Amino acid sequence: MLSRITHKTRYTYEGPVSHCLTEARLTPRLLPGQKLLEWQLKVEPQPSAITSRQDYFGNDVSSFAVFDAHMELVITASGVVELRPPAETPHSPWTTSETRAYLASLAEPAALRASEFTWESPFVPWLAELEAYSAPTLAPERPVLEAAQALMTQVYRDFAYTPKATSIETPLSVVMEKRQGVCQDFAHVMIGALRAHGLAARYVSGYLHNDAGFEGAGASHAWVSVFAPGVGWVDYDPTNNVQPAQGHITLALGRDFGDVTPVKGITVGGGAHTLEVDVRVVPA
Amino acid sequence: MARAPQLEGRTWRYRPDASFWDEAVGPEGLARPHWQRFAESLEHMGTGEFDRRLQGARQIIRTNAITYNVYGDPHGSERLWPLDPVPLIISEEEWSFLETAISQRTRLLNAILNDCYGPQRLIEQHRLPPELVFANPSFLRPCHGVPVPRDIRLHFHAVDLARSADGRWWVIADRTQVPSGAGYALENRLVSVRSLPNIFNRHSVRPLNHFFSARRHGLLSLAPGNRRMVLLTPGPLNETYFEHSYLARAFGIPLVEGADLTVRDDHVYLKTLEGLDPVDMIFRRQDDAYCDPLELRGESLLGIPGLLRAVRAGNVAVANSLGSGLVETPGHKAFLPGLCQHLLGEELKMPSVATWWCGQPQERRYVLDHLRELVIKPTFPRYGHGPVLGSSLDRQALDELAAQIRMRPEQYVAQEVVALSTAPVWSDQQLAQQHVMLRAYCAWDGEGYTVMPGGLTRVSSSPQSAVVSMQEGATSKDTWVLGRMDDSAYPRMAFESDPAGEERPPVSPQLPSRVADNLFWLGRYTERVEWMVRVLRAAVPSLLGEEDFTHQIRLESVLRLLVGYGHMPEWILNAAVPKQLQQLETVLGSMIHDPAGISGLGWNLKQIRRVAWPIKERLSTDTWRVLQELGDGAAGSSASFVRHRPGAMLASLDQAISALAAFAGLLSDSTTRGHGWRFLEIGRRIERGLQITELLRHGLAGSVADESSMALVLQIADSTITYRSRHLTTLRVAPVLELLLADETNPRSAGFQLATLAELVARLPLDAQSAPHIEKALAAKTLGALRLVNMRSLGRPAALKVFLNGLRSDLYDLSEALTGRYLTHVMPSRLKSL
Repeated sequence: MLSRITHKTRYTYEGPVSHCLTEARLTPRLLPGQKLLEWQLKVEPQPSAITSRQDYFGNDVSSFAVFDAHMELVITASGVVELRPPAETPHSPWTTSETRAYLASLAEPAALRASEFTWESPFVPWLAELEAYSAPTLAPERPVLEAAQALMTQVYRDFAYTPKATSIETPLSVVMEKRQGVCQDFAHVMIGALRAHGLAARYVSGYLHNDAGFEGAGASHAWVSVFAPGVGWVDYDPTNNVQPAQGHITLALGRDFGDVTPVKGITVGGGAHTLEVDVRVVPA
Repeated sequence: MARAPQLEGRTWRYRPDASFWDEAVGPEGLARPHWQRFAESLEHMGTGEFDRRLQGARQIIRTNAITYNVYGDPHGSERLWPLDPVPLIISEEEWSFLETAISQRTRLLNAILNDCYGPQRLIEQHRLPPELVFANPSFLRPCHGVPVPRDIRLHFHAVDLARSADGRWWVIADRTQVPSGAGYALENRLVSVRSLPNIFNRHSVRPLNHFFSARRHGLLSLAPGNRRMVLLTPGPLNETYFEHSYLARAFGIPLVEGADLTVRDDHVYLKTLEGLDPVDMIFRRQDDAYCDPLELRGESLLGIPGLLRAVRAGNVAVANSLGSGLVETPGHKAFLPGLCQHLLGEELKMPSVATWWCGQPQERRYVLDHLRELVIKPTFPRYGHGPVLGSSLDRQALDELAAQIRMRPEQYVAQEVVALSTAPVWSDQQLAQQHVMLRAYCAWDGEGYTVMPGGLTRVSSSPQSAVVSMQEGATSKDTWVLGRMDDSAYPRMAFESDPAGEERPPVSPQLPSRVADNLFWLGRYTERVEWMVRVLRAAVPSLLGEEDFTHQIRLESVLRLLVGYGHMPEWILNAAVPKQLQQLETVLGSMIHDPAGISGLGWNLKQIRRVAWPIKERLSTDTWRVLQELGDGAAGSSASFVRHRPGAMLASLDQAISALAAFAGLLSDSTTRGHGWRFLEIGRRIERGLQITELLRHGLAGSVADESSMALVLQIADSTITYRSRHLTTLRVAPVLELLLADETNPRSAGFQLATLAELVARLPLDAQSAPHIEKALAAKTLGALRLVNMRSLGRPAALKVFLNGLRSDLYDLSEALTGRYLTHVMPSRLKSL
């Protein structure tokens, strides 16, 4: 299945910006079921150069700087991605307690690498209430993927999807208290609840098909990836209570939002600014 | 020495409690061999003289303004550096062991950093638990794989050492991010050499200067390009800002804040008046996470956006390298012996204090069984979570701690409690026993690691306390490492000269914008203080109550002026005279004394110090001394002094005026006429212009000017004599205004300031691309307007007020325009993310 993606980010400033430095993680990752057929990044005003590198988590990072005074910055990422659905739903006989022990044993390189995602991170601090929240769901004898699926449903039911109820600065403890948020918050809650029990969980940024009828279409989206021994990483979308199959296109992976922020930037001048993001994903 | 020193002398009388290891005295009560000479010298000098030397040392500390900042201190955060006159003496043999042990540890930590920020084999091979890296907030992932010249990630390392009762040294803690205190150690040495020259010279103490030149050389050896180095400081509010500016001066490099640097095309530049000047080595005192707001975490916008990009491109080196805070965790201490064997093929020479990391099951069990006997620390230090002494907790608190450890074991380490050794300190004219801890330093010198022969010895604040922190009121000692003096290897005190006669790299001739900014504000604040003193000088006589007959100034004019300035409430004008006098006393007292009020003398003097510190090397020694005396004078006066002895107050205000005049004179005599001097002058002229305008606004434009208020204004503006020589005794508004506004030959007139400003501004550098020279036009326009105005037309207060308001806003515009072009350090802002 081919999808054409257009992701437009527009910053409009109150006054002129004398210069800005920006980092974008807007190139979809190459994954077993995901191929990048064409891709380009356009920036206006045009920077002298756009350089690209891989970050610690293997995400593609495009860096650029604009030194001409400007009132508006528009970053457009677009291209075509081919998705091949996984052959079957992944299955793992490992229980949560076995998975936890496997990760802690560091017995294999895979366990060691995955163990990096069992610790707290800047946006997902360790919280006692997260541990309590998921304790019944992640019961020790339960198969880990079944438990993860149940946890996804639990987060989906307990939290209200409320655009603008939270911002990036809203701490996870407040999200837990208010029980509402957007896809980032859903993902952070589920990740924190998994990690509180010694399981490995990653944050995934990406896109949904506009026609899929899901929450979070038309913007960039976020979900969760859980590690199961023998299988590897399996994705869950707690905002929509689905296991991403056809409709989810992966941009970047990390510990939390901070590692995969689509656009980060520092400006000099400009005063207040507004941000508009427009994402379109259509069949190609 | 012919004979052993007296055990119980008059001065050397020191009988320490023998349950600790004492540095100076052995178990039999005899001074240890390497302390005998000191004991004799002290005895010879006598108590009275030694005490006088202590006063001398304090004076040196005051004169050199050696300070540190205490966080959260309500009484102005700056404190004078506390130094005990008795040094800690360490023998040659002992030091040679410490030296090799410390440099080994630095090599080891550097190797660990290289692995963690590179292949991470230590984790793969199970030699280092992954938690200590992956769960460590100081592991900065954006720095992973970033190249570092010659694999030196750790340029400068500090180790806190303690000695247990059996005489063995232990490492208590490592500082690998921005180790502080080495500059204070050097200052301690300068003070003790100057205050105890004879005693010092009788010992063969290894000098410290070689270490600093080696360190400077080491830093420059790693600079990838033109070897232009800067010292990056978080700013004047940092605890050890003194040290930052001190080291910058000592190294002859600019002291900069993040906003002074900019990254263009992956190169770092220093903003100067003439434009951008490349930088390729950043000696940082800013914490890891705050160095690059673009890539590193940090809610603040401190640091240099894009720095990491320039580092990654290999165009600039940062020392210590970004991310080096990773190995500060006490969690890895238990693994160091194995890592040392593996990475260096050597036995670890000096042990760390016994440390159990709770991330391991066996260790955790031991800790939970022995909580009461141990010190519990967070594995990853975070603000507000200090070490806890198990023995200080009650049953319930112990249970809670145990529960926390069980819940998140990897977050806790426990350490054995080390009874710190003791040493003599000088207290109430005699020697007393107190606990000490030594911070030693090791630096990359270009070829290998060199240990500073000495260190910062810290003394606990109470005899019982085993906790030593300068934040909690500890004092410090100079550390004398005995050894052979080799003149050829150790250059003399001027450590700015590089070893082996190497040339210093060229320091940029261009003036960094921050220096120009400081000079500009130095000019403004000194002028502001002078006017403040002049206002006080004119107001104090009213308190004397007796109006001498030459004195035409009435109490009412004084009050009216102070109300105008906002120092007093309006109702005071209608109050009874005794009430007025009482209120005047209070207000004058607080203007002189209150250190917090921004309209007070104390606050403004502190501002002078703040802006003068970083540019101390640009001021002559005499200039600096005068500045210091000014500060001391203000600190010495008290509120009651004003009330009880206004006469004496007058004398001391007169002194302050003389000191300010001396300061201005020295500044203009000893400063070359470059752009730096120009900014200082511009600051002074703008401020004086504003002060005259304010004086006339509050003194003459408030109501119809009478003789008394005109006399007051002339006196404050120091123009009484000039007026009388021209106009005899009659005071009339037009000639007063003529003299204070238009007369360009009167150095205190607005016209003089504007004419001077126009000349100064015209000579400032202008780079071709920037906006047209509006400052020049502004200065000329304001001067032109002043030249055209007819003083007679300003006779009415309302007209005068309108004119003065215009003049004031022109001066502000000029100041803004100059600041905008040359001095502004706009704080960047962060883009929102979705």
